[in-house]
Amino acid sequence: MLSAGLLTLSLLSSTLRLSTPLILAALGGLYAERSGVINMALEGIMLAGAFTAATVTAFTGSPWWGLLGGLAAGLCIAALHAFCCINCRADQVVTGTAINILMLGIPPLISGALFESTGSTPSLAKTQTLPTLPIVIALVVAPVTMFVLFRTTFGLRLRAVGETPEAAATAGVSVTWIRWQGVLISGLLAGLGGVYLSIGQNSLYTRNMTAGRGYIALAALIFGNWLPWRVLLACLLFGLMDAVQIRLQGTSSVPTQFIQIIPYIFTMVVLAGFIGKSTPPKALGAPYITERR
Amino acid sequence: MKRGPRLGVMWLAALVWGAALGCGYTPRDEAGKLTVGIVFDIGGKDDKSFNAAAWEGAKRAKQELPIVLRHAEPGEPNNLEPCMRAFAERGYDLIIGIGFAQGPVLATVAKEYPHLHFAIVDAVVDLPNVASLVFKEHEGSFLVGMLAARASKTGKIGFVGGMDIPLIRKFATGYEEGARYVNPDIVVLKNFVGITDAAWNNPGKGKELAKAQYEAGADVVFQAAGNSGIGVFDAAEEHHKLAIGVDANQNWVKPGFVLTSMVKRVDVAVYTIIKEVLEGRFRGGRHAYGLENDGIAYALDDYNRPLVSESMLREVEAAREKIIRGELQVTDYMANLK
Repeated sequence: MLSAGLLTLSLLSSTLRLSTPLILAALGGLYAERSGVINMALEGIMLAGAFTAATVTAFTGSPWWGLLGGLAAGLCIAALHAFCCINCRADQVVTGTAINILMLGIPPLISGALFESTGSTPSLAKTQTLPTLPIVIALVVAPVTMFVLFRTTFGLRLRAVGETPEAAATAGVSVTWIRWQGVLISGLLAGLGGVYLSIGQNSLYTRNMTAGRGYIALAALIFGNWLPWRVLLACLLFGLMDAVQIRLQGTSSVPTQFIQIIPYIFTMVVLAGFIGKSTPPKALGAPYITERR
Repeated sequence: MKRGPRLGVMWLAALVWGAALGCGYTPRDEAGKLTVGIVFDIGGKDDKSFNAAAWEGAKRAKQELPIVLRHAEPGEPNNLEPCMRAFAERGYDLIIGIGFAQGPVLATVAKEYPHLHFAIVDAVVDLPNVASLVFKEHEGSFLVGMLAARASKTGKIGFVGGMDIPLIRKFATGYEEGARYVNPDIVVLKNFVGITDAAWNNPGKGKELAKAQYEAGADVVFQAAGNSGIGVFDAAEEHHKLAIGVDANQNWVKPGFVLTSMVKRVDVAVYTIIKEVLEGRFRGGRHAYGLENDGIAYALDDYNRPLVSESMLREVEAAREKIIRGELQVTDYMANLK
């Protein structure tokens, strides 16, 4: 009995650790997409946050500076995305993808100059990591997002510019500014997700260490139908699947390959069958052009 | 559709630019010297492990011998061939591929450039101009398995592999055999980070696997997982348990938590092959590194000496002698496949 209890406890904490980067990135993405901007760049933003946090911590010795650096990096990349998509009206998917590719290249370039390595930073001591703070923030962000989205003026405006930007503009709301805010918040949150990866869960940055988590976060966002609590659940479910997969491996005679595809099969099944119709914000992906009212 | 062709051109430009960057294109500047090109595995040269060991050997060669050394980090499997070809087209005297994944690519390129010398680590390519540098990892894994079983108080030990491939199974099988050699009842938990090459670069997952093993009662975990293995060391520190390093001597990574490292002297193999080409002694075919020529060893230094007792050391040394003399046979997982 005791060992069963321990197992569930370890499964639970493992689920939390594996879900945290997903929750932060997906809820970040929610702010951008609710305002009408597809944030394909989540993966790139996470990489930027992770790399900057590890680098700054390696130089200053303090994870708090690393945290600040990671958040700033997330903001910068998000600002780039916002500028291209909102001000220049570039294709949002193409811009996001370009940013993701860019962020595969930039960390190795910088780490080459700083540490003579290609994309990895020196290992940090255990005292130089922040293993719990991001988990707590991730769990708090969901209710906060619900409140912001449905109980505040800002939330109303955010949803308005994502559904019918023309009406919002007529009512005197600056579509450009609200969308900028949405994308910047997503930069902060996804950046924090990256910070957790490099100096929370781990103690260094390695090349492309997000390993597709930004895209899984996007899937969770769609799976969760752009609703905060459902997105949170979706991320926890993905984390749980991964944690279960880790514990199933090696304990049964089923080959590793089969056990490792569980999360992916699960994703396909839920996306294809069980969630019903997902309804994205109406103006998602469409740049707002003032003259075309 | 005005956008179509323009987008196409942009993509092409981006691709060319990416390929040029990825292959570290630099002009030959020092004429007359032996030119050596080294193509790393997906993990890249800073994995503190396998590739890092190869890079050590190459750097040593550059310091001590009159050679021009260039390296390329493909980053993803599709870039392997262009990177290797870039060296071959520019007539590099010796081109070294690091890692089993480059076997097929190197075979293709080496066939087209029979006048150039090639070397591959961890794979066998049957061509006269290719030296295949292979290691008897199972023997070294056997010895660290013995140490793990002796250091374990719970009778449970773990193994975290990177990508689930025969080469890594070879580590796992040798490790388990060694552990059983000293404790027939020992339980060995075995996990792999993944089934694609991303498995070498996922320290978060490596850490979760190790934590699950420690929580299940294992108190020594051997990692053979490239960059993902760094996560195993982190988990060992958090749980105050032991880990075993791989390929390079990793005892320094988390002093006090690393029992030993299964050292694979890729650095020696790389250095030696460069020297042989330089001195005109290159020969194709298999170059085997094992316990007998110190190509494979377990690491003992100031970082881990407090963790390894005299009796453990005597026992392991005795087994080492026996394996070298052929009195003790360790199963080679890969030999059994063929």
